[in-house]
Amino acid sequence: MAVTLTPVSRIEVEQTSVKPTGAAGAALLSGGLGLFAMSISQVMAEGSEAAKTAIHNLGKLWIPGAQGIGPYSGKETIALAVWLVSWAILHYVLRRREINLTAYGIAFLLLIGLSTTIFWPPATHAVVQAFYPK
Amino acid sequence: MATLQSTAARVAPGRRLEGSLTGPAQRPRAYVVGLAALAAVGGFIFLLTSPTQALLGESAWALNSALHGLGAGVLMIGVTVGLFQAYRLYRGDSISIGEMQIGSLFTAAASLVTIFYGNWIYIAYRASAPTSPRSYFLENMPQVHQVFFEFKEFLALYTLPLAVGAAFMIWYYGDQLRTRPAIRNAVAVTLVLAFFYFAVAFGLGAAVTKLRAV
Repeated sequence: MAVTLTPVSRIEVEQTSVKPTGAAGAALLSGGLGLFAMSISQVMAEGSEAAKTAIHNLGKLWIPGAQGIGPYSGKETIALAVWLVSWAILHYVLRRREINLTAYGIAFLLLIGLSTTIFWPPATHAVVQAFYPK
Repeated sequence: MATLQSTAARVAPGRRLEGSLTGPAQRPRAYVVGLAALAAVGGFIFLLTSPTQALLGESAWALNSALHGLGAGVLMIGVTVGLFQAYRLYRGDSISIGEMQIGSLFTAAASLVTIFYGNWIYIAYRASAPTSPRSYFLENMPQVHQVFFEFKEFLALYTLPLAVGAAFMIWYYGDQLRTRPAIRNAVAVTLVLAFFYFAVAFGLGAAVTKLRAV
């Protein structure tokens, strides 16, 4: 009897140790969110002087030499904050869930692709014109 | 059968092949010690017998820009190895989890160091002085700054979340990567993107530096 139970319990342990895909989804999506947020901050800084100053002030809060780096320091801060905070939240929420990783992967690729497009300067100017018409 | 036995006898580690360059590799520690010895000898000779300072240049930002370039050079190795590992992951080939874990950590650290020093030399790049690279470009070739550098400075940052995300997944899932195609593919995509964004930023950075260094 004991001989029969031993392999069964071992299989159960192996099954429970399989880590759900949620953590991978959180890692992917949070990176995309951070980079997309940075591209939004770029549009805001290009479109509004007040936003540019506010974004620069964010960088000055903690980056050494932020005065010389300019608003770029604030954009880095926004990317870092959105990435790490959203990662912590998403990881906490999703870590025990088996998710559709393909859907999360597509969302991640869309965010990365969209932010890259926004950072291409001719596209940046077009987006700024659309949101901040003069 | 006789042929097989003969072949087996030839490749089996034996006293005759011990220490031979043709023998099977059995001592990774010796490999690491050998590499370290080469680096120590090369570094010692290079640093003590050459005017290294002359290579850095006279700029006050010489050391920071050298460390930025060195970080980028190391990162190039990391993302290139990552690209190869991504191919193996995607194909479902056998992988060494330990190598991937060490490599991904190395790449993420190199990305952080490169961005850190890139931030420092950005101060010199965008200084208001007419001799700064930004002032020079805006005066003589504005597209270099307005299009290429502005694009490069953001795309370079992509390498950090991508490299850290890949490292996290590789360490978190470990051996489970061998049997879980969805996670293998997620890691593979992340590693390929890290290589892509590095290549764009590195290429544009090198070109801009060639035109006007800090």
